[in-house]
Amino acid sequence: MTRFQSINVAAVLISAAALQAQTTPPDFSGVYYPINPFGRFTGAPSPTTAGRQQGPPPRPTASAPVSDGSRGRTPDEPSLTPEYLAKWEAIRKTRIAGSSEYDPVAKCLPPGMPVMMNMFYGMEVMQNKDKITFFSELNDALRRVYLDGRKPSQKVLDDLTYAGYSTGHWDGDTLVVDTVALRGDTFIEGFTPHSDAMTVHERIRLKEPGLLEDRITVTDPKALTQPWETTKTYRKASREKGNDELREFACAEGLGEAK
Amino acid sequence: MRLRGMAGCVAMSAALLWTPMALAHHSNSAFYVTKIITIQGVVKEFRWSNPHVWVILTVDDGKGNKVDWKAEGRPPGILARAGWTPKSLQPGETVTIDLSPAKDDTASGLIARVTKADGTILANAPAPTE
Repeated sequence: MTRFQSINVAAVLISAAALQAQTTPPDFSGVYYPINPFGRFTGAPSPTTAGRQQGPPPRPTASAPVSDGSRGRTPDEPSLTPEYLAKWEAIRKTRIAGSSEYDPVAKCLPPGMPVMMNMFYGMEVMQNKDKITFFSELNDALRRVYLDGRKPSQKVLDDLTYAGYSTGHWDGDTLVVDTVALRGDTFIEGFTPHSDAMTVHERIRLKEPGLLEDRITVTDPKALTQPWETTKTYRKASREKGNDELREFACAEGLGEAK
Repeated sequence: MRLRGMAGCVAMSAALLWTPMALAHHSNSAFYVTKIITIQGVVKEFRWSNPHVWVILTVDDGKGNKVDWKAEGRPPGILARAGWTPKSLQPGETVTIDLSPAKDDTASGLIARVTKADGTILANAPAPTE
């Protein structure tokens, strides 16, 4: 075989491999839980001490993370323009007073993108060639990502929703997703507000088998002084672990108490 | 004295009604989440419902009064993965609840954990995913 021929063969092999990768993207389907969403204050034994602990576990010192803003903002939170920082301050006041009036989740509405990707209560991913669907146990929230090449029409852009309108494509083993047409009355993270000009860009991949990673970039020319980046990581559930079934949330069951 | 007793009765009856505010869905910002108080009492009702479970616990306030505390827990999905079932608590059993008090000063709070008389601990979340 001449040198030219072997280069040719190698080229064919490489393009065959590339074609293979292109036609069979990784399968993200399954149930996942976010890595350590609640911290260690829950009263639950940690996996490393479970079974080895002597005597009763220590009395809990908290029931949940502080989420009322009483500790102020941290540098890793989105950098807000003065207008949206003022909005945050206004919401903060109500939360410190114990109110949830600005929180869509407290009204049984969907959390919205991108905060829904925290997936605090677990996530189910359903994938086929043309569409990937992300389901959140928290508030039974759903988002669909179209993979068949369609783009948001003007009609879609005019119709703002909680999950927005997502289209994606494969970049090798990474799913690249862009989300537009998002309502302005949800949160980016925590209770950080945003405008209806917000868009969300994601790169989702299996960091290792059973470990899904979502690198999220949030852009909002009205609310943010610069794009905000965050990374969420989820561990795949399994039948062996007995945690691969999400439960119905049926949030309105609680609203039924209200008049 | 008698009148005051009557007023107490009325207040107690009002507290027993499922008022919209008391059981409305809300975020954790309704509670002092980093403060934990411990109450012990008799389970009056265990409501396995979304988006929160509720334990109504009759507590002796030490002054001869019985107070019905409304202890709110995370949703059934989370608690089921932490080992709870719809039958975890039965009316009439005595339990101890560590909870974060509500900011509105009512006899209510967010459950950190429930300890049954036999020492079984019902945590408010599964062990963290690592």
